Amino acid sequence: MEDNQNSAPGNVPATKLGGARKGIEPGLNASKRLQTELMQLMTSPAPGVSAFPSADGNLLAWRATIEGPDDTPYAGLTFKLSFEFPSNYPYAPPTVLFRTPIYHPNVDFSGRICLDILKDKWTAAYNIQTVLLSLQSLLGEPNNASPLNGEAAELWDKDPALFKTKVMDRHKDIEEDE
Amino acid sequence: MPPPNTPEEGVPAAVSSPPARARRSARNASISSVAATIGSETQGICVGSVGDLSSRTRPCVLPINYQELRYESEVDKSLECPICRTPFSVPITTKPCGHTFCSVCLLRAHQMRPVCPIDRRPLDIDRDFCKARVIHDQLDRLRVKCPSQGCDYVCPRELLAVHYERYCEGTPVPCPDNSCDLWIARHDATPDKGCLHKYTPCQYCSKQVMKAALEEHYDRECSGNTVKCAECDVDVVQHRMESHVVNDCPSTVVSCKWSSYGCGKKAPRRDIWAHEKKPCVYQAIGRLVKDREEDRLIISELRARLSTVEGRLRMSEKEKTERKERKRRQASSNVDNTENTIPAFVPDLNLSNSPRAAASYNNGTWDSPEDYMLAQFERMETQMEDLRKNIHELDGLHSMRLLNDTMRLNEQIAELGSKVGVIGMHTTWLMNVQRQSRGQQRAVGGVGSPLGAFASSSGGSGATSGATAGGVSDTLRNAPDNEGGRYYSSNMPPRRNSDGRGENPPRL
Repeated sequence: MEDNQNSAPGNVPATKLGGARKGIEPGLNASKRLQTELMQLMTSPAPGVSAFPSADGNLLAWRATIEGPDDTPYAGLTFKLSFEFPSNYPYAPPTVLFRTPIYHPNVDFSGRICLDILKDKWTAAYNIQTVLLSLQSLLGEPNNASPLNGEAAELWDKDPALFKTKVMDRHKDIEEDE
Repeated sequence: MPPPNTPEEGVPAAVSSPPARARRSARNASISSVAATIGSETQGICVGSVGDLSSRTRPCVLPINYQELRYESEVDKSLECPICRTPFSVPITTKPCGHTFCSVCLLRAHQMRPVCPIDRRPLDIDRDFCKARVIHDQLDRLRVKCPSQGCDYVCPRELLAVHYERYCEGTPVPCPDNSCDLWIARHDATPDKGCLHKYTPCQYCSKQVMKAALEEHYDRECSGNTVKCAECDVDVVQHRMESHVVNDCPSTVVSCKWSSYGCGKKAPRRDIWAHEKKPCVYQAIGRLVKDREEDRLIISELRARLSTVEGRLRMSEKEKTERKERKRRQASSNVDNTENTIPAFVPDLNLSNSPRAAASYNNGTWDSPEDYMLAQFERMETQMEDLRKNIHELDGLHSMRLLNDTMRLNEQIAELGSKVGVIGMHTTWLMNVQRQSRGQQRAVGGVGSPLGAFASSSGGSGATSGATAGGVSDTLRNAPDNEGGRYYSSNMPPRRNSDGRGENPPRL
């Protein structure tokens, strides 16, 4: 029966007795799951990451922040991200973008991320918190074998000092613009 | 059944080739059949038809969405599905890695990618799943609230389906109007009310509203719904005005709450409130009467309780006396038993012990009358057994004794018989001697003593006995003719003397 609701998300609220649930929500299951995740994030937050639905009340779009891990070029920096959830979440991965410009081998200049768990390695057991923690560890351990930013991948090994400067430059530059 | 999953099915649907898509749809069919079989086992009466939603048959009630249930208390995190993050509905476990999910969640995730969502181990839909029975039992015990609107029933989860589908008045059922495919609460689903899903204009704000939702619209949404009460100057929802006037409005004329005890005052409610607060004359009486009525109720209740308690007491006393009686009888019969038993034939120890042990239990309490009766019965049986044994032994004893006594008697009889025989022979011998001596007397001429004759004939008596036989009869016949009778009597005393024990037995 849940299957039915998933495949035709708009049906159930409409078929319920009129009243409380009049507005047709996209992806009832996704919303339900996201509500649960929100509760979990509020009650037991993980250190260094946070997330909250965007202000317009749409549960399918979230804003999140990651603190750069210590002992990495990103230490002390905070990065903002956006999450867009499909209506069949968690069976399909959310679209995650870095809002804050970041100099990183696996992130391109428009903020798109190359991370397997956000693509083909996604499973329904992942959630916002685990994705954020994965991204946080990606900052310290980039996958230089398949870079989106080739220059960053090269500098990561060859010239950490220059890499650090580039990180700081890029981060500061854009944050001032915002 | 479709072939096992191939690696290419992991790629997104957009790029999958037509054959792969066809294969996937075949697999989806098998997945839904698995889900239906798993689901129908646990989720109540109507679920069988729910599984076949694709065939467009309508279930008799709106199926329960187990992921939307609200639980009475917080549910343990270990009972939550990692996919939907709600307590499992129909949990299944992966066989190779042992992870548990709602069957629906896992099958749906499996459709996207045929791997375990936790560790990405490849899973085969036909082989790699099994039911999680222990978890299922735990889930069954969770206390859950009924999902129907306006129903606050709470029960263990396994019983929810029965309440929801059979008894709950708020359960959404198909609209009685066949042309309408919406749901309506069971208490509103009557043919005379008709379809409540037709839109009607709201009488206050001219918005189009479903009939079923009209009340809620008035209470919450309608812009022009409130109106000032003409009497009391309070904002009231318009269609609630009637109940406001009857139950709340301070300007409505009502009678004093002690009116049933005689107070005849009628006034607007606000005055009545004041009147009731300032002690109404009837208030004191009213309270008394009320108290008395309550007391009467309590008394009758107590009386009923007392009578049941008394009955129970009587029963238990009766039981007690019966038990005592039985015990006494038991004890006395035990004593009899021990007295009667012959020490040489003490029956089996176990058997003789058990009645006594049972008797001692009699002092204690029995779990139930059945137990008591059983124990009694057992005791009786062992006693019976003892008695039977004793009887057997006595029987044997008797026959032994009889045998012993009769043997002695038989011996005595035999002895007597032999003695009689000896006496008979003695008599014959004596008769012979007499006859011989008489024959000699006849031959000698009547002179000579019988003793002399005896001595002379003793040596050759064997030779003469046969020859004298005919002679004896002759002499006996002739004796009365002669002085034989006289002679016989005169000779008897000496012969008798010779018959003493000291004499030699005759030779035969």
